[in-house]
Order: sequence, then structure tokens, then C-alpha cells
Amino acid sequence: MSRHASGLMAWLIQRASAVYLALLLVYLLIHFTFYAPTDHAALVAWTQHPLINGALLLGIPLLLAHAWVGIRDVLIDYIHSLALRLSLLILCAFLLITTGLWLFKAIITAEFQP
Amino acid sequence: MNISVYRYNPDTNTAPLMQNYDINIVQGMMLRDALLAIKQQDESFSFRHSCGEGVCGSDGVNVNGRNVLACITPIADLSLPMTVRPLPGRPVIRDLIVDMTQFYEQYRAIKPYLIRHDPLPEQEILQTPAQREHLDGLYECILCGCCSTACPSFWWNPEKFHGPAALLQAWRFLADSRDQASDERLDALAGPYKLFRCHSIMNCVEVCPKALNPTRAIGHIKALMLDKGL
Repeated sequence: MSRHASGLMAWLIQRASAVYLALLLVYLLIHFTFYAPTDHAALVAWTQHPLINGALLLGIPLLLAHAWVGIRDVLIDYIHSLALRLSLLILCAFLLITTGLWLFKAIITAEFQP
Repeated sequence: MNISVYRYNPDTNTAPLMQNYDINIVQGMMLRDALLAIKQQDESFSFRHSCGEGVCGSDGVNVNGRNVLACITPIADLSLPMTVRPLPGRPVIRDLIVDMTQFYEQYRAIKPYLIRHDPLPEQEILQTPAQREHLDGLYECILCGCCSTACPSFWWNPEKFHGPAALLQAWRFLADSRDQASDERLDALAGPYKLFRCHSIMNCVEVCPKALNPTRAIGHIKALMLDKGL
């Protein structure tokens, strides 16, 4: 097996995505603490800003990749039955993909609202 | 002083039990001395020990939830009530004696010896003082097993994860200027199990009786892998 395989790449993806997500989370915490949108229209207007829109759209795949590596690590550590582990991995993958699509839809829909 | 000790003899006990012993404490007494005093009271009590000065690594035990080398752990430093158990996660052979076979298999798997592709010179392979310095904090490991048996990742996957002791030694040979098998060693550590089960929990660093830092060594291996792999 090449050393590019799941061990090193998974570790790298988890750490690189963690840096971006940490910065995004700090920004979101500051924004929603001090400049929280007053209504739905203000929230939509905020997500329509190109920088915010881009940051959120980039954040979704990174969040999913980060969560996937984390969940995979937990399942590799604790679930030793291959059949159960595979079933749980497929279930988690399904949940992550559907969550990701839902998030994408929410942001894209907000972007095209008048 | 009263010490509660884990007792299990697979020939006579159906389940492990904790047994209490009263021993007289003298100044400067180490935990190993206390275990020897128990052995004098009860000859059936068993534990491993040899050099008595923290060199052989035989008498690793778990005291009050923490892995220590009994021979260099002063009784006065331990809180009461005192409970002595075998190293966690390993199959118990008898009382405080555990089966370390998997631990040694993981050590053997990292090929703990210098590998040269060039023909060996007639005399020593010299190192500069700076090259030699890279081995400090690595060569001192005595393979007592306190670190690996304190590592949750090793508890869950002892047959696949090398564990902190073996990985510290893996870095010891990767960091050695005389070794010529870096690529093979890194290839052998690839995949999600052997190296990457380490989640930097750092129990190994916490308990190492030689104050070594396997987590840092594992970090160096990952960095070298990244450097050479990407």
C-alpha cells in the first residue's frame, strides 16, 4: 500500500480542514454574537455577500470531510465487526451526504432570493 | 500500611479478586520492596522483577490507575488507599504477570535494527555529534510497556496498532543517520492502523518512567511521511 493511502491522507485532510473550520467558526461566533441578523431577510442578505457565500460553500465539503475522517476513526477504533462497521460507515456516509446537499441547497437558494 | 493487590490464578480462581496485605513501611521503600514484603507473607503471590533500579523494565504495574515501574516508585509518593493491578489491556497470566507477546510482536514489526543497503565498512559507521544528538530521548527506552499498555488506541487494536513504544523505536531508526531504509520503514507504517491509530492522547508521555515522549516521535514520523509522500 502506498503511503499516500488512507492513513496519511485522512490525517492530512482532518488537520487541514480543522484549520479552516476553526477560523470559520471563530468568525461565525463573533458575527452571530455581536451582529446577529434581526430577521430572516437579514440572514439571507448576509449569506448573499459573495465572500460569506464563498466561505460557507467551501466550508461545507471541508466540514463533511472532517466529520467523515472523525467518524471513520471512531468506528475503526471501537467497532471490530467488519459487517457492523461497514453498515455504520454507509449510514454515516448517507447522513453526511444528505446533510451536505441540504446545506448546499439552503445556501444556493438564499443566494438567488430577491 | 494496607495495600490492595490484584490476585488471579487461572488454575484455582474462576475470577480475579483483590486481596489486602498489611506491610511495614521503612524510609526510602520503593513499591517493589513492598511487593517483595507481600511475597514474603504469601509465597503464592507473583510479579515480575529483576534489576531493581529501573533498567530492565520488568516490573511495570498499575498503581492507583497509573502505570509505573515498581522499583523506582517510592511508596511515600503513592496515595492511600493503594491498589496495585497488572498493566491494563494485557491478558493476565497470574497475579501481576501479564502476557506481553503482542507488545513484543509490535516491536519486532518495526525492524528495530540498523538496515544498510551499502556494503558495511570495515570499521564503525561514524556519526557527527549533531547526528548522534537526534537519538537522545529515543534510545533510552527500556521496553517496560508502561506506555503502550496505558494507550487506549493500543487497548482497542493491539494486533494492528504498533503502540507508542514500538513507534518511538520506529522513529529512533528513521532518525538514525546510519540507517538507509527510511522509505521501506515509512511504507511499512502506511495505512490507517499501524501508525495512524495514534490520536495524540498522550497517556504514553504521562506515564513513561524514563520521561520519553512517544507522541512527539510519532509526530516526527507523520511529518517525515508528509515530507516524503507528497
